[in-house]
Amino acid sequence: MKFLRKILDNLEPKFTKGGPLEKFHAVYNATDTILFSTDDKTESGPHIRDSIDNKRIMILVVVALLPCYIFGAINIGYQSSQFSGIERSVWENFWLGFGVILPILITAFATGAFWEVLFAVIRKHPISEGFLVTCALIPLLMPPTIPLWQVAAATTFGVVIGKEIFGGVGMNIFNPALVARAFIFFAYPSQISGDKVWLKVDGVSGATALAVPAAVENGNAVDLLTKITQFDYSWSNMFWGYIPGSIGETNKFLIIIGLLFLIITKIANWRVIVGALIGLFGTATLTNIMAPLSSNTMLTLPPHYHLVMGGFLFGLAFMATEPVTGAHTDKGRWIFGILFGALTVIIRSINPAYPEGTMLAILLMNAFAPLIDYYVVQGNIKRRMARYAAE
Amino acid sequence: MARIIIKKGHDIHMSGVPAKNIESASHPTTVAYQPEEFRYTKPKLLVKEGDSVKIGTPLFFDKCMPDVKWASIGGGKISAIHYGYRKVIEKIIIELDKNEEAVENTAFDHHEISILSKTQVTDHLLAAGMWPMIRQRPYNKIANPEDTPHSIFISCYNSAPLAVDLDVALRNRSSSFQAGITALSKLTQGNVNVVVDETYTSNTFLDIKDAETHMISGPHPAGNVGIQIHHIDPLKPGKVVWTVNAQHVVTIGRLFLKGVFDPSLIISVGGSGVKNPTHLKSRLGASMETLTADRLQDGSQRMISGDVLTGKTSDKNDFVHFYESTVSVIPHSDKRAFLGMLHPGSGKSHYSLTNTYFSFGANSFPFSTLLNGEERAMMPINSWENVFPMNILPNQLYRAILANDVEEMEQLGLIECDEEDFALCSFACPSKIDVGSVIRQGLDILEEEE
Repeated sequence: MKFLRKILDNLEPKFTKGGPLEKFHAVYNATDTILFSTDDKTESGPHIRDSIDNKRIMILVVVALLPCYIFGAINIGYQSSQFSGIERSVWENFWLGFGVILPILITAFATGAFWEVLFAVIRKHPISEGFLVTCALIPLLMPPTIPLWQVAAATTFGVVIGKEIFGGVGMNIFNPALVARAFIFFAYPSQISGDKVWLKVDGVSGATALAVPAAVENGNAVDLLTKITQFDYSWSNMFWGYIPGSIGETNKFLIIIGLLFLIITKIANWRVIVGALIGLFGTATLTNIMAPLSSNTMLTLPPHYHLVMGGFLFGLAFMATEPVTGAHTDKGRWIFGILFGALTVIIRSINPAYPEGTMLAILLMNAFAPLIDYYVVQGNIKRRMARYAAE
Repeated sequence: MARIIIKKGHDIHMSGVPAKNIESASHPTTVAYQPEEFRYTKPKLLVKEGDSVKIGTPLFFDKCMPDVKWASIGGGKISAIHYGYRKVIEKIIIELDKNEEAVENTAFDHHEISILSKTQVTDHLLAAGMWPMIRQRPYNKIANPEDTPHSIFISCYNSAPLAVDLDVALRNRSSSFQAGITALSKLTQGNVNVVVDETYTSNTFLDIKDAETHMISGPHPAGNVGIQIHHIDPLKPGKVVWTVNAQHVVTIGRLFLKGVFDPSLIISVGGSGVKNPTHLKSRLGASMETLTADRLQDGSQRMISGDVLTGKTSDKNDFVHFYESTVSVIPHSDKRAFLGMLHPGSGKSHYSLTNTYFSFGANSFPFSTLLNGEERAMMPINSWENVFPMNILPNQLYRAILANDVEEMEQLGLIECDEEDFALCSFACPSKIDVGSVIRQGLDILEEEE
């Protein structure tokens, strides 16, 4: 690696102040610090520092996403072999899916990097490693059938509107990857609304698991799901992920592994997660109780089905736990989590236009997070003022 | 005896912990004041270069509080006065005589001290030029002799990494320590709170009279006096609490018992940059060169006057600051690991409060001055909150200060804070934000408004 180090060291003068490529210093710096950890030193304040930095956090989130990529590829191949009738090994399935995912991934990264670099150069801020996570998340949120130009448009919208106009990573209000998905969701609903499945096989269409109970009145959700013969929408199959869906969200087991990894490394805050599960189970139980009063079949969907259907777990693991756009206080995180879980069920059940509620629930909670924090902070202030006044 | 348990915080396991014994250091030839460290004061010189001074001769005073003078910490000649930007006095260097003379003051015995009045104690300390040893919270500045503090705090527990072990430093000092406590107890209507660690073995802290003893247990920053005040007698606007360093209490005690300013001080020298880290019998304002002579490891090192979290970067021509009794030396490192962000980590290569690296069980980690990253926007993963044992929201307070929102800073409890309590937050921060310096900015704003 000394060879690489030498090249970088030789290039450095070109990018420093006065050099011909001075404007692109951010690009050099990003390449340099991604390849080799920095040797920046402390100046004042604590002379020693923890080993953790934002790069490590971001790259570990990407690592947590890798199993979802691998299974996503296998599942694309598996689903297509189911309907084309061609027998294939897991390995062959993987390569088939890999061929589908790779162009999407490249498009997302190329577009994301382009905007990140453009803003870094113009606004003279360092290139933030946060774009690694955003660009790694976007393909997982997309159906395999997505046209590449839509991926590029969505990434552009997510990075620019979701992040850069606020000042970059750390200052954004909404999760950029979800903003990207929301953009396609509303701009090109025919491709991504979530009521029809996406398969890399021509001529096959069907309803997603969540759209099944949403389409029927006065039914029992679980009965309806078991009656579907085209796909196996049993609970265990939805848990293990052999169902059609967006690339990364189907295998709940691997998502839980990724989630545990983020909790153990202390990147994700467990309060959001426990809160969200309480919110989801509580609200779903409530809708089950209210189900006889309404003709809405979605109300009969039991909580543990809500858990494994749609993008709830994926959104919980990788987007609701995102520290920047969530609540910043511990009490706020509880409220954020509970309301996120509750809103997911409410949007899914009560709003027939959107069978998938997770994305909107997270975006809504992102919008509310500052308000939640405001009240938590006011509570803290109130107690302090009471103490100041008491003594 | 009250017990306080601190849960949040972290004891950084660093290599180079000073051994629990006291060696004598080579005799220093120069000592110095570095008046910039006395924040919110306007020092005005009473001596000039070339003047002969005794131990205790006033060297300079504060234009804002003219009664507050600084006594010479050595006997000899003023060899140099260094000025910085806008004529700020940077250093007053005293070249020591072989036989130092000292200014004689009245001496008292234990009983006489116990019947002194507040004015008598105040005047005695002011006249001896030792008043600057008494600092106040809020703002962590030199106390105003005209105030009456709600209580006085003496932290006898240094929890900062590599800091001087007060159990060692104060061993067999009970008579002077007690005299100091008795004198200080005259200055307040409230308690003198002596806070000790429960593992202490020395007899100095047993049966202390005229004071309330508190046991504290928990990780750093439990030893910070600001944290102790927060848990024992919390500040609020308009309330003033005084603090004195434990070793300065001994110095004050000796002034009353013997009538002279005894500048001796136990200073610890530690860190992976020194050979055989230990405690040294030295004195106030000792030169770094004397303390680190023959002790430095090879290679490029950083000398710090103070502990590694809050100390000031120094070099061998500098001197230990007035309120510090710790010298830390840590190496610089130029190591750049290839794809370091993907490194699995080990107890030898990484140290983190998160579990993002396999760094479990790192018992004595050889820290260097590496920042281990680059400064970024705040990443709120609770890295600050987990090491901050006060009922204050550090993240929101930090933002209120950045936004210059004075009202919100006050509401969020800035008045109860000091930058040193946030040092661990900066240590743990993944975005490499220096929280403490921003807290100080906020305190500067509030101080100016007063």
